[in-house]
Amino acid sequence: MKHTLSILLQNESGALLRVAGLFAARHVNIDALTVAVTHDPGVSQLTLVLHGDAGVLEQILRQLRKLVDVLDASSLSLVGSGERSRLVAGSA
Amino acid sequence: MNLSQATATAPSAPADPHPRAGQSLSGAEIVVQVLADEGCRVLFGYSGGAILPVYDAVFRHNAQRRGADGREPMPLIVPANEQGAGFMAAGYARATGAVGVAIVTSGPGATNLVTPIRDAMADSIPLVAICGQVPTAMLGSDAFQEAPVAGIMGACAKHVFLVTEPAQLEATLRSAFEIARSGRPGPVVIDIPKNVQNASLVFDGACRLPLPGYRSRLRALEHSHLDEATCAELFRALMQARRPLIYAGGGVIAGAAAPALAAFVEAFGIPVTTTLMGLGGFDTTHPLALHLLGMHGTAHANYAVEDCDFLLALGARFDDRVAGVPEQFAPRARYLAQIDIDPAEIGKVKRVHWHHAGPLAPALERLTAHGRAHALRPQLADWHAHIAALKRAHGLDWDRASALIQPQAVIEAINRITRGEAIISTGVGQHQMWAAQYFDFRRPRHWLTSGSMGTMGFGLPAAIGAQFARPDALVIDIDGDGSIRMNLGELETVTTYDLPIKVVVLNNVGDGMVRQWQRLFFGSRFAATDKNLHKKDFVRAAQADGFAWARRLERKDELEATIAAFLAHPGPAFLEVMVDPDAGVYPMVGPGASYAQMITGPFIASRAARPPAEADVPATAMF
Ligand SMILES: Cc1ncc(C[n+]2csc(CCOP(=O)(O)OP(=O)(O)O)c2C)c(N)n1
Ligand SMILES: [Mg+2]
Repeated sequence: MKHTLSILLQNESGALLRVAGLFAARHVNIDALTVAVTHDPGVSQLTLVLHGDAGVLEQILRQLRKLVDVLDASSLSLVGSGERSRLVAGSA
Repeated sequence: MNLSQATATAPSAPADPHPRAGQSLSGAEIVVQVLADEGCRVLFGYSGGAILPVYDAVFRHNAQRRGADGREPMPLIVPANEQGAGFMAAGYARATGAVGVAIVTSGPGATNLVTPIRDAMADSIPLVAICGQVPTAMLGSDAFQEAPVAGIMGACAKHVFLVTEPAQLEATLRSAFEIARSGRPGPVVIDIPKNVQNASLVFDGACRLPLPGYRSRLRALEHSHLDEATCAELFRALMQARRPLIYAGGGVIAGAAAPALAAFVEAFGIPVTTTLMGLGGFDTTHPLALHLLGMHGTAHANYAVEDCDFLLALGARFDDRVAGVPEQFAPRARYLAQIDIDPAEIGKVKRVHWHHAGPLAPALERLTAHGRAHALRPQLADWHAHIAALKRAHGLDWDRASALIQPQAVIEAINRITRGEAIISTGVGQHQMWAAQYFDFRRPRHWLTSGSMGTMGFGLPAAIGAQFARPDALVIDIDGDGSIRMNLGELETVTTYDLPIKVVVLNNVGDGMVRQWQRLFFGSRFAATDKNLHKKDFVRAAQADGFAWARRLERKDELEATIAAFLAHPGPAFLEVMVDPDAGVYPMVGPGASYAQMITGPFIASRAARPPAEADVPATAMF
C-alpha cells in the first residue's frame, strides 16, 4: 500500500542524508521525495512517498521520530484534518 | 566504590554563571572545558594533525591542574589503534553509566572509530566521540586525511554533528552529552574542523542547542507516568496468570532499574530470565533467577519461556538471538506486556497486549506500589516448584570426564573466587557464551560484552576502559585466541598504564564458534577457522608487552592452583589456557529454530522424549 509522509526537518548539515539513510538502512524504498522551504528558514518540509504494509509505515514513522533533526513526522493518510492544516500552514 | 547507580540524567543547567563565563577561549579550550564540566575523568584517543589544537588544550588543562599526588584531572589514554580508544570509552561507559569519551584525528583516525561507534549504538551505550576534521574551507576538496565523517557516522551513531559555525561549538558539545545519555542512550559524534578548534570565541558556560523535536519527544517520554487504570489492567492479567515470567534486557541496566526490578520480584514472586545485555540486571544467584535465555540460554530459562502463560518484557527487544522465530517465541503466553524507553521497540517484533513507553525504574516502582496497595500477590507456588524442578533437572553441565581442560571448568574456577563481584569483559565467540553462562552476575555493570554487534576485539580495550572507571575493581577479560588478536596491540596499553587487569585467553586453536556452525551447517568443512598452523606464542607476546605474570595452563590438575595464583597477582596478569578444541556451546537454539528445537548437547538433560540433535537443525538461510 502507498503512503505519503510529511516530515518537518531542521535544516542541519547532513539532515536530509540522515533521513534518506534511515530508509536505506531499514530497507524501505523512497518512491518519491520533495523538499520545500517553510516560513522558517531553519525548517524544511519533506513530502515522501513509500509503499509497504501498516507495520512498515508505523515502524518507519517511529524510527523517523528518533532522528534528532526531525521535528515532526506523520502519515498524511493517518493525520486528522486539524493536523493536516497545521502542516500545510507550516509550509511555504 | 559502587558506581552501579551512576546517574544517566543530564546535569541541570547551573543556576550560577560558570566561573569562566565571558572569558575568551579558543575552540579547543572550549572543548576541554565542556568535557571537564560534563564530569569526564578520563579521555581515550590517538593524536594527529587535525586534532592537535584539542590535544594541546588537554595537555595544558592537565598541566595546570595537577593534583598534589601528581595526578591529572582528565588524563588522555593512548591506545594502539583508535578502535581501542572507542572500546575503552565504551568499557568506561558500560562499567559506570557515565558517558565515555574518545578523541581522534580526521580521516583514518575517525574511520578507525566506526566499529566501536556502531557497537555502542547497537548496545545503547552513551559515548561522545570527537573527531578532528580538515578546515571548513577545505571540506569536500579531497584534502589530506579528509573523510566524510558526518555521512559515515550518521549511518552508525545516535547522532552526528559537523560543526562548521564556530559560534555553535560550545552548545553543540553540551548537547552531544545530553543526547548521548538521555532517552535510549547511544553514541554521538562531533566532527570539528581544525579552524573551528583554533577560532577565538567567548565562553558562555551554559548554552545548549534548542533541539526542539528531540527535546519535546524526550520530555513527553520522561513524563509519561503509568496511571492507575493502566497498572490495574496489567495486574488483572497478572492475577489470572499461573506461570508469569519476566524477560529482562539491557534496558534494566541502562535505565538503572535493577533495584526497582528486585523490589518488584520481591513483591510479586515472578521469575526472571535475562538477555545477554541484561546480565547483572537481576542477581543470578536469586532462587527466582533463570539466568540467560535465547540461542545459548540455559535450558531451564528457555523451557520456562516455553511454559510461561504471561510474559513481561522489560527493556528487552525480542531480537533474533532471543526470538529467532517470533511467532513461536513464548508460544503459550496468552498475555505479553512490554516496557521500553524507546517507543519504536514496542511491538516491533511481537505484538503486545499491554505496553508502556517510558523510563523503566519509575514504571516498575509505580507497579510495585499499585500491587502492594491493593494487596495483589499472585499465588505461584506451583510455578515456583516447576521452576525449581527445571533448574534441578536441566542445569548447565559439561564433559567432566575428559582429560582435556574444558573451558566451562575454567570459568567456574574463576567464579568460585570472584563470586559475581568481578567486572568481566569478553571477546566474541564460544568463550563469550561460556562466560555468560557460567559466571554469576550479582549487580549491574559488571558484565561488558559486545551483544548486538558481536565485535571480536572488544574484550581487551573494554577491560582497560573499565579499569580506569573502577581503579579498585577486579577486572577480568575472558578472551578467545581469535578475538584477542583483533586488538592485541592493547596488551601493551595495559602495562603502559600499569593496570592490574587479568587477561584470560581460552585457546581452542581457532574460531571455535564459527567451527561450531560449520560442524552444524557446512559438513564440518572448517574453512578458515582452524589455526593449527599458527605459530603465535601468546605468553611470549604478553611478556614482550611487559606482562611480568604470563603463563600457559595445559594440565587439568593445575587448573585450580594456577587460577588462584593468577587472580592473586597484584599487577597485570596474562593466562592462556589450552582448552578442548572440540568443546561446544550448549544449549543451542539454532538460527531460525524455535525453543522446542533446542539442542541441549551431550551433557545437559533435555526434556524432549526424543531430544533434538544437531542433525535435526534445519538448514537455514538465517545467518
Ligand atoms: C570483527 C569480527 N569478525 C568476525 C566475526 C565472526 N565471528 C564470530 S565468533 C568468531 C570466532 C571467534 O574466535 P575466538 O575469539 O577464538 O573465540 P572462540 O569461539 O574460539 O571461543 C568469528 C570469526 C565477529 N564476530 N567479529
Ligand atoms: Mg578460539
